[in-house]
Amino acid sequence: MTAPDLLPLAVAVPLLGAALFAAVGRLLPRRACDVLVTVWALADVVLLAALWRAANRGPFASWVGGWRPRNGESVGIVLVGDPLGVGLALLVSLLVLAAVVYAWRYFAEPPTRSPGTFPALVLLFEAGMCGFALTGDLFNAFVFFELMGAVAYALTGYRVEDPRPLQGALTFGVVNSLAAYCSLMGIALLYARTGELGMAQIGRHLAAHRTDTLTVTAFVLVLTGLLTKAAMVPFHLWLPDAHAVAPTPVCMLLSGVMVELGVYGAARVYWTVFAGPGGIPAGAVRGVLVAAGVLTALLGALMCWQQRHIKRMLAFSTISHVGLFLVGTALLDAHGAAATALYVLGHAGAKAALFGLTGVLLDQYGSVDEHGLYGRARELRWSAGVMFALGGLAVAGLPPFGAGLGKALSEHAAGDFLGWLPAVFVVTSAVTGGAVLRTAARVFAGAGAVPHDSHQAETRGDDEEPEVRDPGRPVPRPMLAVPAALLAACLASGVLPGLTAGLARAGTLFTSRADYFAAAGQGPPTAFPPLSAPSLAGWTGEGALLGLVSTLVALALAATALWGPLLGGRGARRLRDLAATGSHRLVLPLRRLHSGRLGDNVAWLATGVGVLLVVFTALR
Amino acid sequence: MSRSARVRLFLGAAAAIAVFYVLACTGLPHFGTAAHPYGDRAVAATLRQHTANTVSSINFDQRAFDTLGEESILLGSVLGATALLRRTDDEQEFTPGQVRVLPSTRLFGTLLLPVALLTGVYIVAHGQLSPGGGFQGGVVLASALHLAYVAADYRSLKEIRPRELLDGVDAVAAGAFTTLGLAGLITGAAYLQNVLPLGTFNTLSSGGLVPVINAAVGVEVASGVIVLLAHFLDQALATRGERTTTERGSS
Repeated sequence: MTAPDLLPLAVAVPLLGAALFAAVGRLLPRRACDVLVTVWALADVVLLAALWRAANRGPFASWVGGWRPRNGESVGIVLVGDPLGVGLALLVSLLVLAAVVYAWRYFAEPPTRSPGTFPALVLLFEAGMCGFALTGDLFNAFVFFELMGAVAYALTGYRVEDPRPLQGALTFGVVNSLAAYCSLMGIALLYARTGELGMAQIGRHLAAHRTDTLTVTAFVLVLTGLLTKAAMVPFHLWLPDAHAVAPTPVCMLLSGVMVELGVYGAARVYWTVFAGPGGIPAGAVRGVLVAAGVLTALLGALMCWQQRHIKRMLAFSTISHVGLFLVGTALLDAHGAAATALYVLGHAGAKAALFGLTGVLLDQYGSVDEHGLYGRARELRWSAGVMFALGGLAVAGLPPFGAGLGKALSEHAAGDFLGWLPAVFVVTSAVTGGAVLRTAARVFAGAGAVPHDSHQAETRGDDEEPEVRDPGRPVPRPMLAVPAALLAACLASGVLPGLTAGLARAGTLFTSRADYFAAAGQGPPTAFPPLSAPSLAGWTGEGALLGLVSTLVALALAATALWGPLLGGRGARRLRDLAATGSHRLVLPLRRLHSGRLGDNVAWLATGVGVLLVVFTALR
Repeated sequence: MSRSARVRLFLGAAAAIAVFYVLACTGLPHFGTAAHPYGDRAVAATLRQHTANTVSSINFDQRAFDTLGEESILLGSVLGATALLRRTDDEQEFTPGQVRVLPSTRLFGTLLLPVALLTGVYIVAHGQLSPGGGFQGGVVLASALHLAYVAADYRSLKEIRPRELLDGVDAVAAGAFTTLGLAGLITGAAYLQNVLPLGTFNTLSSGGLVPVINAAVGVEVASGVIVLLAHFLDQALATRGERTTTERGSS
């Protein structure tokens, strides 16, 4: 069997596993369930690793059901195995493996009568994400998008003993479903115009029309669903509410890869459908999405710094980084795409590890409140504490972590477009990394001044239901081993020399319409770039230096937050007053914006769509 | 944001979206024209596959991979409902009492239930031939069973609803669709390829894999909808106890 034959199995294997757990989960003891789901997840990793090797030799297409095109036209669905898409699916399967191992001893009591429910849902989630990453058909992408959505809503609300997860899942579900309807309406417009559903086919047929209101409207509507999943401002309001309440293993998947898939989908749709004649001009896309990315990154960083609920802090950090990914992807060149791919990889390791370590805090102390946990986790400082700080350093972009290399390469690409963009990368990484370091120092070392409670309305994190009820037990080993492995992977992705070269080629293929069309049978065959094509530079002096700068700024920010309140003297007091006023003037209105009300979220969603329509019409 | 600000913001944005959408629709091909590129190709492919119902041919053959995703969404929804509506420690199950219903209503239900079930089976079984198919027939089957609740009471429904069994059947049918796709791979063709003999056009056994997948989907939809409704009905009718409610703060 060849690689194209096996490509649909990336979806079918997890689906089969989900059906298996749903059918026989109740008959198996808990331990057997854990072992079986781990083996299943491992099988997916092996399959996707093999497919990734094949995709690196050259992209290939798989016509599901054997509906190959006749004279360039087909009625079927095509899956395209290009290195970036398969690589993302591989990342999905790796994170799923990490999440299921982490969850081994995580839940105290699986739902009675159906202990197979959680593994089955996780495998369905994996199938949806892999299908979305691999498909070359716009409607099929929507189906898998909805699959991962529907399952993610259920996984988010999984802890039904507490009303907040249900509330978060409801917001997540309603906002994302509304956005998905927008996507569906956009797909319908494109289908009505071209009579095609395949991405490459639609792209080919759009060339027959000039760019008109229909094209722009379809573009914006299709992108709405994807960018809502990607939590772009102002579509991001659902994310902190959902991430703060989802069970920890689910957070690892949501933050590590699902949100990033939104950016990937938007870029994929742009390149295949709208990048050619009759599409949307590259200048407009670049300008609008880079601006939105910068806004998302800065707003996310600012909100991240303000949080004391650790999971919300990590959620805003994800928003902030996704803003950077959006900037990198919206540069619309191979360099940006490759750099972002590496950044996503490194970020996934660091962020999933941080969520995993937060799960340890929740497990041991029943709290994720930075202030309430002040100094309480001292006995874990040499295990979880060190790892938490390392995660913070990785987020801040310290060389040689993969997140640092991704940041350095993205910065470089962004700097070629606009000279000041690297500053955004440095500031964002420093603030989000600083927030993590501040938390680590307070919680695990009891460093700095005792944090005092403010009287502002804010989400605390101190009356969380522990997700596990077995007080006094030692930390289960998988809950420390998995974050350690994830951090090691984050480090490895920054130093493996072959990876950068491979991703450079993946980026070139991702941004090459001709290569994609050729693979999908919609254009003349092309000579794919050879493996020795010009690759990314890897670590450069400039990149390492900026990484060190953002790490030092992160450390300085954390130190200021910790020891600033202890400083005496008039100067220090004046600075503190100034900071308090600034926070009152600037931050309070922003916090009010994140009210968590469903109505507000929907109003902002509609506003975002309206603004994008106006802007893209003006720039077309 | 105050209520009125929120409403104004939303209405303003919605009006803008509506204007753009209407303008976009004026760019669509005119109504009633003869150009249907996908339709023409799909009908031709349907005839080549000896399937009388084009919709079923698209659903279970030409774009069967979409349908695989869609029925996985149903499986996910059933599992999601199982997880979210599970009974927590502070909730107890109880059996709702008998309800008095008019004898004529009961008679009507008793007569109609088998007829409705039969209709459902017919619609599933003829999916490859005439309008209908696994999705539609499955929903008919599931609603047929709920006539017991409409025409009698919840007890009667529980008596004829083998919920534990249906839970398993739902998953097995979903797995069957995925597994049927492997038949293609095993015979050296593509995943989900229609490799069974295509049979004689417009007979029950025509269409190759289409009637088989169609049947699997029919079983999955019927049992899935029943289980899904069972969770909601149980929560509404047969569960006592309140979940604690706490006010959520803002960010």
